[in-house]
Amino acid sequence: MLVTYIEAIRQAMDEELTRDGNVLLMGEDVGVLGGAFKASAGLQEKHGADRVVDMPISESLIVGAGVGLAVQGMRPVLEMQFIDFISCGFDQIVNSAATLRYRHGGQTACPIVIRGPSGGGVHGGLYHSQNPEAWFCHVPGLKVVAPGTAYDAKGLLKSAIRDDDPVIYFEHKFLYRRIKEEIPAEEYLVPIGKAALRREGRDLTVITYGAPVHAVMKAARDMAAEVDIEVIDLRTLLPIDWATVKGSVRKTGKVLIVHEARLTGGIGGEVAARIAQDCFEELDGPVVRLAARDVHTPFAPAMEDYVLPNQEKVTEAIRKLAAY
Amino acid sequence: MLIDVVMPQLGESVVEGVVVKWLVEVGELIAKDHPLLEISTDKVDAEIPSPSAGRVAQILVKPGETVPILAVLAKIETDPAASRPEPEEAPKWDEETEGFPGHMARKTGPPIPAPPRVEPSAPPPPPPPTTGRIRITPVVARMAAEHGLDLSRIPGTGIDGRVTRRDVEEYLASGASAKEAGSPAVPPSAPIAVSPRARKVPAPPLAEGDQVVPWTPIRKKIAEHVVRSKHTSPHVHIFAEVDMHRVAAVRAKEKKEGVNLTYLPFVIHAAAKALREIPIMNATVSGESTVLKKDIHIGVAVDTEKGLLVPVLRHADRMSLKEISAAMDDFGAQAKSGKISPDDLSGGTFSITNPGIKGNLFGTPIINQPQVGILRLGQIVKRPVVIDVDGEDSIVIRPVMYLGCAYDHRVIDGVAGNGFLYRVREILEAGIFS
Repeated sequence: MLVTYIEAIRQAMDEELTRDGNVLLMGEDVGVLGGAFKASAGLQEKHGADRVVDMPISESLIVGAGVGLAVQGMRPVLEMQFIDFISCGFDQIVNSAATLRYRHGGQTACPIVIRGPSGGGVHGGLYHSQNPEAWFCHVPGLKVVAPGTAYDAKGLLKSAIRDDDPVIYFEHKFLYRRIKEEIPAEEYLVPIGKAALRREGRDLTVITYGAPVHAVMKAARDMAAEVDIEVIDLRTLLPIDWATVKGSVRKTGKVLIVHEARLTGGIGGEVAARIAQDCFEELDGPVVRLAARDVHTPFAPAMEDYVLPNQEKVTEAIRKLAAY
Repeated sequence: MLIDVVMPQLGESVVEGVVVKWLVEVGELIAKDHPLLEISTDKVDAEIPSPSAGRVAQILVKPGETVPILAVLAKIETDPAASRPEPEEAPKWDEETEGFPGHMARKTGPPIPAPPRVEPSAPPPPPPPTTGRIRITPVVARMAAEHGLDLSRIPGTGIDGRVTRRDVEEYLASGASAKEAGSPAVPPSAPIAVSPRARKVPAPPLAEGDQVVPWTPIRKKIAEHVVRSKHTSPHVHIFAEVDMHRVAAVRAKEKKEGVNLTYLPFVIHAAAKALREIPIMNATVSGESTVLKKDIHIGVAVDTEKGLLVPVLRHADRMSLKEISAAMDDFGAQAKSGKISPDDLSGGTFSITNPGIKGNLFGTPIINQPQVGILRLGQIVKRPVVIDVDGEDSIVIRPVMYLGCAYDHRVIDGVAGNGFLYRVREILEAGIFS
């Protein structure tokens, strides 16, 4: 079945709404309009307005209501129309959803999924291009995933809905209709907490996730004659699959971390620190990060290109590190 | 001049649209912003206005066709007076293979060419003198220590002539390390190496046909451990000559009853008893303190295919000879099948090593840190022994074993150490094991 990334997301929600009567979808314009990006097209017609619910423009309310429903046994999927606005629901997420299990000594759970379009490269300007995943990776009690393929988009969303803890699901809007993939017609899940080895190589490991997976893969293919590159797609950012990361670093001794989120305080810092601590004697070069520059994502296409990582920048970074 | 009408991007995630219908015909005169056609995308439907006044020159896409954004839909012949310089060509959508197109994978066309490699063009800096500083990465430092390499001899291909991991691998594979190595022996005045890793002795030269066997992880552990033990504990070695004839008699008796006992369980049994009486021998060192252990857990060295292992008999002082023997058989079987658990290998409070029938006269065992004592069985050989028979010296033939003992002089002085070995001997010679 050839599907786009966004269709994979729609299918995942459709299947889970069908499978489990406790699953709900709530968000701004998710019902009648079918979502600003059409991620929920047709779902309200199929599953009813009491299960695919249009909400007021208040992310705090959407998350707060979702937490309450989850405590009562429902499994709400909460859409942020743009993930940039997840900050309006921040308190509900980090103080309410993330702490619920802990506060109740493990006697209650908070099975919510918060999903929404993240990422730039689409000239969306600073309020429609953000990658705020690192804010949430600092919070125990949450799980954070960021699929980079249609296959993972579907499998991870289904796993997230079935997970008993709050999962923040960062879907990348650049990929929505730009990638099409064959995915299985039959049902499948992608486990949370497991990275994917996208490409095997022995000279250098590139660790990435989300949209840059594609730029990295293309760079790796184009440079195959020069450098033998191993590519790890983290897929889950909290908790990170350290076994896969370390196994690869021990093999290659050189690591480049690529993400579209900003450099300072990004996931790359955590990955780099862990590698430096646990794989120090295996390193044959500095652990290098390539990420967005520490500025807001500009609207102007030329400026956006300048700020975000792309294949050229990946190629340059690989070349420099490989020569070290 | 001709200008293009292109498929606009109606929304951030939209990459293509469908032409629904044309609202103009070729040749028609139109004003700027006159609606030209209707399109439909995943997100919205819209009318496309004309970018300029003029005449419709060409219509390039039929109704119902799906085209990517920025594709040219029509061309407008503008009024020459209204002509403007042709707009810069917009970047084309890269409908690349495998669905990985676009801005994230920006380049179309051939891959970005590699710049000429830097390394050989500038001559690498002269190898620094051995006393100078060489900048290396952690993995290279580790490999150099493990293989005893002098890094100044390895040609580096990294930036500024840096020796990379691959340079070391290739150097080792070439066997060059053997040819270039220096003196094989540690000079007597060499400082004590704390661990084998820290030793920077060049490898001895290899002759034709010599084989280099890298250490296995267990070999490395043993090496590290014995060096540390010798460096940590001042070993005092003492020996007892033990008349084993009563032990032999018990063995023979048990054998008649179908129980096969080796000498080892007897020694373990005797040691456990003596340890109970002399607690300082059943101890470990922790910092600058001695910990007298309540329980007696005896580690017994076992040679396995994977290397030397020391499984621990817990509460050996509470076990009968047969229980000890059975436990040792179990360890042997588990070690052979590789199923011995880490729990079985930890927590010993004293150790015994038994080199077996080819154990020679005696040996000087190394203490298993952080314990403070170890026994070593020697060969048991029949020897003429002078004994007292009814007040007269007589020579008889007896099975005799030289039992070696090492103790840590930091913790144990001669009285306790000698007293312990003497007591083990007494128990073995008395031949009472219950």
